[in-house]
Amino acid sequence: MWKFTVRRMLIMIPQLILLSLLIFIMAQMMPGDALTGLIDPSVDPETIEQQREKLGLNEPWHVQYADWVSGAVQGDFGQSFRFKMPVTDLMMERMINTFWLSLVTLIITYIISIPLGITSGRYNDTWADQAITSYTYIGFATPLFIFALVMLWIFGFYFGWFPTGGSVKPGLEPGTFEYILSRFNHLLLPAISMSLIATVSTVQYLRNDIIDTKQKDFIITARSKGAPESRVYNRHILRNSLLPIAAFFGYELTGLIGGTVFVETIFSYPGMGQLFIESITLRDYSVVTATTLLFGVAAVLGTLISDIILSIVDPRIRIK
Amino acid sequence: MSKTSLSKLFFALMLVLMLALVACSDETDGDGEASAGSDDNGSEQDDDGEDSEEEDDGLYSIDDFDNFKTNEGEAIDGGTLQYGLVTDTPFEGTLNWNFYSGTYDAEILNWFDEGMLTWDENYVYTNDGAATYEQDEDNENVFTFTINDKVNWHDGEPVTAEDWLFAHEVISHPDYDGIRYGSDFTNIEGVEEYREQFKDNEGLSIEDAEPIEGIEVVDDKTMKVTYKEVTPSLVTGSIWTYPLAKHIFGDMEVADMSSSPEVRENPIGFGPFKVDSITPGEAVTLTKNEDYWRGEPNLDGVTIKVIDPSVVVNELESGGVDMVDSYPTDQYPDNADMSNVEFLGLTDRAFTYIGFKLGEWDEDAGENVPDPDAKMADKNLRQAMWHAVDNDAVGDRFYHGLRWNGTTLIPPSHPEFHDDSNPGREYDPDKANELLDEAGYEMGDDGFRTDPDGNELVINFASMSGGDTAEPIAKYYMQAWEEVGLNVELLDGRLQEFNTFYDRVEEDDPDIDIYQGAWGVGIDVDPRSLWGRHSTSNYTRWADEENDRLLEEGVSDEAFDVEYRQEVYNEWQEYMVEEVPVFPTVYRAALSPVNNRVLNYAIGDGTEMYKYEIAVTQEEPMVDE
Repeated sequence: MWKFTVRRMLIMIPQLILLSLLIFIMAQMMPGDALTGLIDPSVDPETIEQQREKLGLNEPWHVQYADWVSGAVQGDFGQSFRFKMPVTDLMMERMINTFWLSLVTLIITYIISIPLGITSGRYNDTWADQAITSYTYIGFATPLFIFALVMLWIFGFYFGWFPTGGSVKPGLEPGTFEYILSRFNHLLLPAISMSLIATVSTVQYLRNDIIDTKQKDFIITARSKGAPESRVYNRHILRNSLLPIAAFFGYELTGLIGGTVFVETIFSYPGMGQLFIESITLRDYSVVTATTLLFGVAAVLGTLISDIILSIVDPRIRIK
Repeated sequence: MSKTSLSKLFFALMLVLMLALVACSDETDGDGEASAGSDDNGSEQDDDGEDSEEEDDGLYSIDDFDNFKTNEGEAIDGGTLQYGLVTDTPFEGTLNWNFYSGTYDAEILNWFDEGMLTWDENYVYTNDGAATYEQDEDNENVFTFTINDKVNWHDGEPVTAEDWLFAHEVISHPDYDGIRYGSDFTNIEGVEEYREQFKDNEGLSIEDAEPIEGIEVVDDKTMKVTYKEVTPSLVTGSIWTYPLAKHIFGDMEVADMSSSPEVRENPIGFGPFKVDSITPGEAVTLTKNEDYWRGEPNLDGVTIKVIDPSVVVNELESGGVDMVDSYPTDQYPDNADMSNVEFLGLTDRAFTYIGFKLGEWDEDAGENVPDPDAKMADKNLRQAMWHAVDNDAVGDRFYHGLRWNGTTLIPPSHPEFHDDSNPGREYDPDKANELLDEAGYEMGDDGFRTDPDGNELVINFASMSGGDTAEPIAKYYMQAWEEVGLNVELLDGRLQEFNTFYDRVEEDDPDIDIYQGAWGVGIDVDPRSLWGRHSTSNYTRWADEENDRLLEEGVSDEAFDVEYRQEVYNEWQEYMVEEVPVFPTVYRAALSPVNNRVLNYAIGDGTEMYKYEIAVTQEEPMVDE
């Protein structure tokens, strides 16, 4: 087990170096730079040129890369050109927002999907199962950005049950109870919108696996032993059917910091997804490279965690 | 539930989703107007009911809008105004005039800080701001600025001439990381020398440096500045009017200032409101500055929050915001009947144009060098292309009349200098054909013209992507040109993404013959920065001596006489209509919805309405019924 983990960690190093190199070269190949967007005849072109010089944008890419790596190793990803603040601070600010949103989404997703999946699998081909399956089909087919808008319109504007944007009510003192409550309140609608769409795959996986497992020999054995139905389902079937979900859990964790562009934009909720997209469109290189690298690291770590979880729940797939 | 009812339910749900799709598909055109920083892409939300103002043709006109809010009802004491920043990206949060670069930061700054000088509707500085100015009688290059005694920073310290000088020193410092250093500063005696000394002498502090020769602090509230060159442009936006609080920033390294908490978390100004709290990227709350120099504000405070373009209408309807910084004009026709807001409007300081590539930028000489052999070098060809397009139709079809035919290169947002009597070149395909025949562009059998030497003529057209209307408009122009026998093709067969577009246009990509761009115009009417020989922003790369002459005369000493300047600029506008290195396509309206509870508010310049006067008639914004 330990050997496996350590070996995986070691493989990560070349992976990350390659990743950073690719990210860097691709960022350089994008047309324009952070200063192209500032086409403003009242700004002196010489000033822009001096800025380029100062930001090192005129250096060849390998020089810039070397600069960047030497900073990155010390945890310094440079300054964001647009926000005029250190990239690490900027990412922390956004990551906290994204983390809470994703966490609440994840929890709601599991709260909704596990009972639905179990019901659907256990009583398959009943009307309850059909209703749940219809929901998952519609969920699959609904684009998140439209669903979120509809949710916002219905529950935010029409009924007025939820705040319609932002991460917290402006003007509250951070740290107070009211502040925390307001943050939670602001999280709910985007989180529910996302989870209602995100549940569908989990429900489907769970349903299919339960139906699959139900017909396995060991279940028949358990039944013939005289084990009560609830024990059969809760101990024997569920444990086996949760495998794929456990496997996905690692990836879900990476989603915690990735954020989603659509929901963040619609709800004006400043998070990582938005930061990432806007840094690309505005060519804020230092932010682009840092966020992509972070996502890359998260993905690699997520896979590792998934593998570890899998090997814990299912001894059969433990790698020697 | 039986199968049939389930499928009915499913069908109904699909219908709902489809409706949502339709409602969201109307996107604002973001034709990538440069300089404004960002263009808002909005999507449209529901609307209900008939349009009360709508005429039979479904068209609107900017003449129907006023820029002053009608005052209805009695003001209450206090109240909090809700202000929306319409953007899909969080604001940067560089909240100091000396360091900011984003437009949204500027919107926020406007509420709690202001420039020393205000300007009138013609964008000329007036003497009714926080400071007054006076030109010296003996030496016309010397200006004396006197700061009003009542002007204090939010922390109670007086705003002094030292502070104003300090702003100049910081911006001129080589470590300064903003974008404000430029001709406004180099035009002051001694600024360039001041800047040089830091380059030769690292570690030199502002304290120990030789002061800027041309700025003299006479006393706490008086400053004298000597300019190298005094032109009418100087008093229309070329004076740096934003002081920097020396008692706060004085001990800081210049390089650290823009990212300091004094800029980002506890920004300071001397405007009608002070910053109370900032939620990074999403909201700012402000409370009134009782000590404001014009008088105590009527409102208790202002809450500024970011709202996504897709929900602007909902926020306005539900009273979530009282007003917004920019309203996607294309959402107007469907929402003109909102009962709880009044739409104010004015002519935007911007225009869209078609430019012809006529030369190259000479980096070493720092000037545009026209190429007499360029594909578009024939004046008749350019004139014909203008005659061939019907821009009023573009405005009516794509913008419901909220954009309209452009005639000259000085838009009507500068009423003093825009020549109303100049019709530009009207839509006249016959005239276009005539001009082309005359110049020897023979019509071939395939319906396309050849160039005067008998070679095939294909004109490459670069246009920007963004919004729903970008493509149909580009197509329309190409068809209109085809009507007169010109074979115009889209560069690479597609629209260009914003950054790529400007990269290629700026670098004089030889594949581009004509392009469609847009400019937001500054408050200074002087066209040199856009169309001058030494301007890198003059992407046409066209220059000639007559143009140089007219532009120079427009900022000469005689031009202090407004009538003379008008004459010069009328002549220039006419000259551009004759030469057509570029032609304006449409002017545009800027609309601004304001909740009915808001009093004493106006948009635009020189209205003599100030933010401290704004009041409301009830505690909460009115809601649409």
